Amino acid sequence: MATDIDTTERGRTSSDLQRGLLRAEGVSKGFPGVWGHLILDAIDFDVQAGEVHTLLGENGAGKTVLANILSGFYASTAGQIYINGQPVELNSPKDGLHHGVGMIHQEVMLAGPYTVAENVLLGLDGSSWEYPLTEIERGIDELSERYGLHVDPRARVEDLAAGEQQRAEILKVLYHRPNVLLLDEPTALMTPDEARQLVKLLREMAEAGFGIVYITHKMEEIMTVSDRITVLKLGEISGTRTIDEADEDELTQMMMGEKIPIHLERTPMEAQEAAVEVSDLHVAIPGRGEALRGLSFDLQKGEILGVAGVSGNGQTELIEAITGLREVARGQVRILGEDMTHASPLEVIEQGVAHIPEKRRSMGVVEQMTVAENMMLKDHRTDPFSHSGVLDRQVITRHSQKLKDEFNLIAPDLWKTETRILSGGNIQRLLLGRETWREPPVIIASHPTHGLDRRAVRQTWELFIALRDKGSAILLVSEDLEEVLSLSDRVAAIYNGQFMDILDADDADYETIGKLMAGIRQ
Amino acid sequence: MLAPVGLSLFAALVGLLGGAVAMLIWGYDPIEGYGALFDYVFGGLFDAEFGNEWGLYDTLGAAVPLVLTGLTFAIGIRGGVFNIGAEGQVYAGAVATVAASLFVLPPGVHHLVAMAFGMIAGAAWALPVSLLKVTRGVHEVISTIMLNRIALFLGMYVMTHFLANPDRAYQSIKAAGSAQFPAIMPGTSLTAGALVPVLVAAIIYFLLSRTTFGYQLRVVGYNAIAARYAGMSQAKTVNATFWLGGMTAGLAGSLMIIGGPPGYALTTDMSTVTNLGFNGIGVALIGRNHPIGVIFAALFFAALNVGGRSMDIASDVPQEMVMVIQGVIIVVLAAPELLRIIRGALRGRQLDDEEGA
Repeated sequence: MATDIDTTERGRTSSDLQRGLLRAEGVSKGFPGVWGHLILDAIDFDVQAGEVHTLLGENGAGKTVLANILSGFYASTAGQIYINGQPVELNSPKDGLHHGVGMIHQEVMLAGPYTVAENVLLGLDGSSWEYPLTEIERGIDELSERYGLHVDPRARVEDLAAGEQQRAEILKVLYHRPNVLLLDEPTALMTPDEARQLVKLLREMAEAGFGIVYITHKMEEIMTVSDRITVLKLGEISGTRTIDEADEDELTQMMMGEKIPIHLERTPMEAQEAAVEVSDLHVAIPGRGEALRGLSFDLQKGEILGVAGVSGNGQTELIEAITGLREVARGQVRILGEDMTHASPLEVIEQGVAHIPEKRRSMGVVEQMTVAENMMLKDHRTDPFSHSGVLDRQVITRHSQKLKDEFNLIAPDLWKTETRILSGGNIQRLLLGRETWREPPVIIASHPTHGLDRRAVRQTWELFIALRDKGSAILLVSEDLEEVLSLSDRVAAIYNGQFMDILDADDADYETIGKLMAGIRQ
Repeated sequence: MLAPVGLSLFAALVGLLGGAVAMLIWGYDPIEGYGALFDYVFGGLFDAEFGNEWGLYDTLGAAVPLVLTGLTFAIGIRGGVFNIGAEGQVYAGAVATVAASLFVLPPGVHHLVAMAFGMIAGAAWALPVSLLKVTRGVHEVISTIMLNRIALFLGMYVMTHFLANPDRAYQSIKAAGSAQFPAIMPGTSLTAGALVPVLVAAIIYFLLSRTTFGYQLRVVGYNAIAARYAGMSQAKTVNATFWLGGMTAGLAGSLMIIGGPPGYALTTDMSTVTNLGFNGIGVALIGRNHPIGVIFAALFFAALNVGGRSMDIASDVPQEMVMVIQGVIIVVLAAPELLRIIRGALRGRQLDDEEGA
């Protein structure tokens, strides 16, 4: 069997599969008794040189866990991993990289205070004496040029926007020259254009002989990027299809077991009354100039205003300025008629502003605290959750249980489960429940469905529409254009710290918004 | 809950084994050494001969300040600060309590006033630490170490110049009788004041786990960014963490005076109260920074300290072996945390979390 693997051909022989770049056999992972099912149950999976093998599945299906096992981040409970047909033991991500397997995580795993290049150095197992930073920086520049992933290697990671951090993460892994690349929802924080470029890049890399494992929820990406698609459901494989056999409806069915109709109904917008008024807002970042440069808009009660834009164009600063987390240099923010320009975060919360932050793990929850405690992050000061400074555990338990049920949060125990062990989707459910149950007058939501499966995305969208119908004013910042366009009453395109334009939903389409996001005025 | 307790017991066991190994290396008989140590501490439980129970009472008495200084460090850790300033805060509390014994007050009231003086002095000594941290970003490890030294020498100065006992130059004036806690067993250090730290530990436990104040303190301690997002003031919480810790440390100093028979006084070189603050760090570590755990850890530490003195006399094993035991315990308990920090730093962030998508 000396012939080369031809990945464009369907129906491989078993000996081809034996030779897969990376192969898992009977891989299991589980904490029996905790979840009712194993996280992974005897999974066989492989990726060949020259193909993109997509992993599809709902939250908790086990996709990320499988990828983590394949790349050495987690140990499996049972099973064997083969690389180029040789059994290997991957005890750490370093082992994985050593064997040419690199993983790009959904949530960025870079050290904030260091530069991109320094983060690469951290992963190199050597001092800056062996690996001069200037050389690393040159290497990154080269890689970012070759793959069109633009990141300044000298920028500190914490100063980068989420999308840029994601690109830095990809570059960090590419620096190790892997043969196999595992990507966990890499486009979640990217613009459509960036996502398209990445998909194109992955195709090119596959043609060049990389083996690529791709985790995503986005159906259109699946159909353009994949050679094969494996669907996971509750830790088991529900099937594998080649791209020729694959059918969107069938894949959805395999993933969820039932079809979800797509239909968003809403009542027409009522009389206009401004909930949030922002005028000529300027925010300066020390050493980096102005992040917001004279931004103005009104957000009406009972309206969803979508903010579309490439990550790093001022979205984060806009949200932080409104919620009191960032100093406003000039301009005014009025919330429900009151001047809140220089209000503290607490004053903004007490004014009735809910905030679903972009950084859900590092800002939205306290990972070391329990689910019930996290449900109380904003409400613990108020009656009935505390009286004269003493927490009422019974009320908190009842309330948390109610939100847990309503939002289908999967957590073994309210008072024992540390939020740290929850999946990203479950943390998002916790956040959504905590921030929206009061039906607050103003909701600031940043990437509210990032990491959720299609069914949960639908539920979240319906929740937002329902809140809007009841009179909440919602500022929706998202890079998922589909989300912005299907939810918003009006769509604003943000570019370089300013709104390029604010369009009525009827006038907003992918192309128009896409151009505005890129800074092109009609 | 069970896992941390198990780990602490395991560490204690390893510490005792380590002590035994050290004794063997230096040619002492560990059975004889530990025999003497534990016989002194627990002998009274089995053999009711007069005097046998002194060890037990002394142990309980020695645990009193350690519970309080252990709480100081534990509160700090819960609030996300590394408060190693209990040492200086104990001095401040002790000096202030000696001063407070100059008043003429009825018993009961005088006890409370003396303890209040100690607590206020302890908190006041933590004030510059918290203000420097909140306003100027000075790390508490630096400022507390400096303030510990300042407290030592300032305390000695105040003792010798203002509060010295004219009859005994090495001692301060004696606490007024109306402020003294009487010894429960004459000849030992255990007084009615021993109930105070138990009460304080219970209050701290309630404060941390059941009140909005304690909740905010823990949120700030775990994740300052999330705390700010939730509208909590980090400055206020950090201040409160230091002051509360200072109060318990100051109270420890206070109880060493008004609950310190037979002298009820402070030596002018402060030796009555030295090392209580530093021992509190080990106590908090063994007690897993839990207010109730700290009580048991303090008893254990006190047993080693008190039994160690007897071991030195009754066998030929030197008292310093106790420090070997305590050192090993701290290394065993600190090592996993240290490994976790190093591993976390290498990988960029905690890996236990997973996106189960």
